[in-house]
Amino acid sequence: MRDGIHIAQRGTPAVALVTNDFWEQGNFVATAAGMADVPRVQLPHPVASTGRTRMRQIALDVVDDIVSALSR
Amino acid sequence: MTFLQAEDEYAALELLHELGCTDGLPVVIPTEARVDRFVVASGLDASLSLGTMGPLGGNVTVSLMAACCVMAGCLPDHVPVVLAAVRAVLDPAFDATEMQSTTHCTAPLVIVNGPARAMVSISSGFGALGPGHRANASVGRALRLTMTNAGGVKPGVSDMALLGHAGKFTYCLGEDEEHSPFLPLHVRRGWKADQSVVTVIGAEAPHSVLAIIDGDDPKGADRLLDQLARCLANVGSNNANFRNGQAVVVLNPDHATVLAKAGYTGQTVAAAIALRGVNPLSLLREVNSALPHRDDGDDPSVPAFRSPDDVLVIQAGGGGLYSMVMPSWAAGPHANRAVSVEVDWGAACEIPGALSR
Repeated sequence: MRDGIHIAQRGTPAVALVTNDFWEQGNFVATAAGMADVPRVQLPHPVASTGRTRMRQIALDVVDDIVSALSR
Repeated sequence: MTFLQAEDEYAALELLHELGCTDGLPVVIPTEARVDRFVVASGLDASLSLGTMGPLGGNVTVSLMAACCVMAGCLPDHVPVVLAAVRAVLDPAFDATEMQSTTHCTAPLVIVNGPARAMVSISSGFGALGPGHRANASVGRALRLTMTNAGGVKPGVSDMALLGHAGKFTYCLGEDEEHSPFLPLHVRRGWKADQSVVTVIGAEAPHSVLAIIDGDDPKGADRLLDQLARCLANVGSNNANFRNGQAVVVLNPDHATVLAKAGYTGQTVAAAIALRGVNPLSLLREVNSALPHRDDGDDPSVPAFRSPDDVLVIQAGGGGLYSMVMPSWAAGPHANRAVSVEVDWGAACEIPGALSR
């Protein structure tokens, strides 16, 4: 989330990818940073260590949400 | 500062628990009179901002710190030491925002050097990191409560430590300078011996290192250094895998004596541990194959530490078979730096009768 905020603050469109276990923390950080509406897309948890096949599936599942968030 | 209202101290304690202002243990209720007394002990203005604490970015005022000192069970005399620790954590090099948010278990370890130890009874001997030492317990707890309240720390919401460790309640000790054969940590970090200095570093829980030294073994010191280095740079540690960060070695007096008799100084002990704190590249790749372990050349031994300065060596505890090592998180923009701040006694005020109120 903080990476997404820093990139957005530099004027580059950004979407933070946040797993559902960290979604509440992401909201907390975004609010604390004064950018409560910074674009973010929720992923299932975990993503790391789940293998290429599952990661590819997760990417396919959320790619439209990411494009949508960038297009707003 | 806003003061809450409650019918009595029991109700006030429950309210503080409910609001997430405590660490889950009972606290001394920070009434206005008590907080005022601790503000006076700081010698600073109550509204003075010491900085902002992440991840929330809350304002760390002197009155907030004073309230946390009260809650932690401090004496007014402890305030200058807590203030130095808070200032250390607020130094950007400490990376408090990242440290308080990480999934790693890291906790702020407070090491006190110089005359402050005797002035406020910071313990450095038997069980210094355990229960029974009022100043150690309350100083470390006051720092954590300040970080928690100003930083908006809540487990699983803003503090994402997967498990944490007991040092996140309190984690403070003094160096046993009087019985150490080595120069004190703060002197090795550029301060004068008669200065009181607080060094804070994010650290894992202490890991015991058993080393039974045979006095007739000419390689006893070498074996001890090997054992300390293996445990500090253990293959599961972030230091070993990220090849970064500073970490702590706490020598017990007997182990320190073995090393001193073999001709080591504090600096050369740190250098020897940094030199020996290596893992085979093949082992690192085997246990954490997902990490992009780079190959630095023909040498298959990968150092966990970049410099002897990254190994903070102190002496503390009782004499015996066990020393302690504290590996670290090794991440953040500054890669887990220790930060030292001098204790400012000049601003502190004496408070006649403070203990009786």
